[in-house]
Amino acid sequence: MSIQVKNVSKNFGSFSALDNVSLDIEPGELVALLGPSGSGKTTLLRVIAGLERPDSGETFFNGINTTATPVQEREVGFVFQHYALFRHMTIFENIAFGLRVKPRATRPQDAEITERVMKLLKLVQLDWLHDRYPSQLSGGQRQRIALARALAIEPKVLLLDEPFGALDAKVRKELRRWLRNLHDEIQLTSVFVTHDQEEALEVADRVVVFNHGKIEQIGAPSDIYDHPATPFVNQFIGHVNTFKHGHNNDEIAFVRPHDIDVVNQAGDNTIAATIEHTIKIGAMVRLELSRKDNGDYVEVELRRETFDKLNLNNGNVVHLQARRTKVFDKQAA
Amino acid sequence: MNTVNTITLPRTVSRPHENTRWIPVVLTTIALLFLTLFLFLPLACVFAEGLKKGVFTYFAAIVEADAWAAVKLTLLVAFISVPFNLVFGVAAAWAIAKFNFRGKSLLITFIDLPFSVSPVIAGLIYVLLFGLNGWFGPWLAAHDVQIIFAVPGLVLASVFVTFPFVARELIPLMQAQGREEEEAAAVLGANGWQTLWLVTLPNVKWGLLYGVILCNARAMGEFGAVSVVSGHIRGVTNTLPLHVEILYNEYNFVAAFACASLLALLALVTLAIKSFVEHRHLRKHKR
Repeated sequence: MSIQVKNVSKNFGSFSALDNVSLDIEPGELVALLGPSGSGKTTLLRVIAGLERPDSGETFFNGINTTATPVQEREVGFVFQHYALFRHMTIFENIAFGLRVKPRATRPQDAEITERVMKLLKLVQLDWLHDRYPSQLSGGQRQRIALARALAIEPKVLLLDEPFGALDAKVRKELRRWLRNLHDEIQLTSVFVTHDQEEALEVADRVVVFNHGKIEQIGAPSDIYDHPATPFVNQFIGHVNTFKHGHNNDEIAFVRPHDIDVVNQAGDNTIAATIEHTIKIGAMVRLELSRKDNGDYVEVELRRETFDKLNLNNGNVVHLQARRTKVFDKQAA
Repeated sequence: MNTVNTITLPRTVSRPHENTRWIPVVLTTIALLFLTLFLFLPLACVFAEGLKKGVFTYFAAIVEADAWAAVKLTLLVAFISVPFNLVFGVAAAWAIAKFNFRGKSLLITFIDLPFSVSPVIAGLIYVLLFGLNGWFGPWLAAHDVQIIFAVPGLVLASVFVTFPFVARELIPLMQAQGREEEEAAAVLGANGWQTLWLVTLPNVKWGLLYGVILCNARAMGEFGAVSVVSGHIRGVTNTLPLHVEILYNEYNFVAAFACASLLALLALVTLAIKSFVEHRHLRKHKR
């Protein structure tokens, strides 16, 4: 099922959450809405689900206008940031809920409900928890139950709001891979909201970058990282150093920390800087330096071998050379 | 030096604790003395006075025709006003906690009004509205409907003084629970009624029960507002608290205290149910 968002705007009082946003999502795609908090990504997700009514603009599922369709009839699966499991129901009843509230004519028999719920519990690998209550589960388990509950009604699209936001780093990573695999398996058009760029780049087929209620860039993860369309995307995705550039400093140059070489001798395009701190993380070493000419902060990432070979210490003066630079007009930044 | 330090450190830590041990003892004693003077003693006195002339006189006073009529009327008034406030309280709390609308804070203020207004004024409002010389009095009289000095007036006054109880109990609870579970239910296809019955109400059931218990206790015990609209017609418009007052004013102390003991018993039963509910509520939350 394809999703189309056309010129959608939404204001909360004087705050503009969405400003004339348009977006096309292909059937079977896994799309990430990425942006800082308050950038409008969650509002767009809620507009697609029907939990929020746009002030103007339209939404379409498979070309059919759903703007006025009530949330109950949109057949979307929605996973809430804090899971929103029904706390007074067992895990089994939570997942069965969507089937039990169907009108009598379309409601499955009890035996069929049991069968479908147990199948979903096996899918999320938690069938042994069926008679527990949500408060007895860990965060990662709750998250998977929330997903099973959303899938129970056989939705046409799956929407996830910060699906891994409340989990610790290790569980996050596991669930991320698990969601990616699940999506490959069931091929359901899915949209998830995140403020974590690593999550977006790692899981999604396409990433939509939001800022101030507008879309900054839409593209494949590698596109977004390697060819940022705007200064905002450049700064938001990955770490980046900014340098004044051009004849009258009317441009800004962005250089990623791993696109900088450390050399021992000054050259045509080098900058002298003093090493302030060295931080060793696994196979990488992060250097924090201050420029000799204006004292600005610069961050450089080196591979461990390169760092060892250069024999660097805090306080050393080194010369930095950019391998790849992205230049924007200052007005755009 | 090191060993000396490690020995003196715990002492300095424990000293303030030893010094303050008397504080909880004193505070508890004050609280207990206070309770004895203002609560336990009067309560014991009610039963003692009621039973002063023996058990027989005590029960005779209760089953006496007018007293028994008062008991029945009190139950009737509670039976009507409590369900009414249950519906109103749930509706108001749901609206306030789950939706945004204009005039929300005004509604919250109005719900608190009966707490801040003297019950006597609450009674007077209805007299001014529905009494013979009130706004609707002539119309009501013409259509042969009697509200003031009759059961409808008693119910109106009781509803007024008790309507904050259920709503006040539910609003903070529902607000704390947020809207997410309701939204989840809606996305899963549940309509408004299904969401209310299957998600919202089960989540607040102990709070709701607690609110109903308090509401009922107040409805049965209300004096001021009811006194104004009742007209004190013996055996007809006298609720139990009003009947107690009449008996007392007639120097019929034994009967007055016997009837009062019924109200006190009601209070004790209410307390027992309330602690039971709280206990269940806590256990539910721990699970």
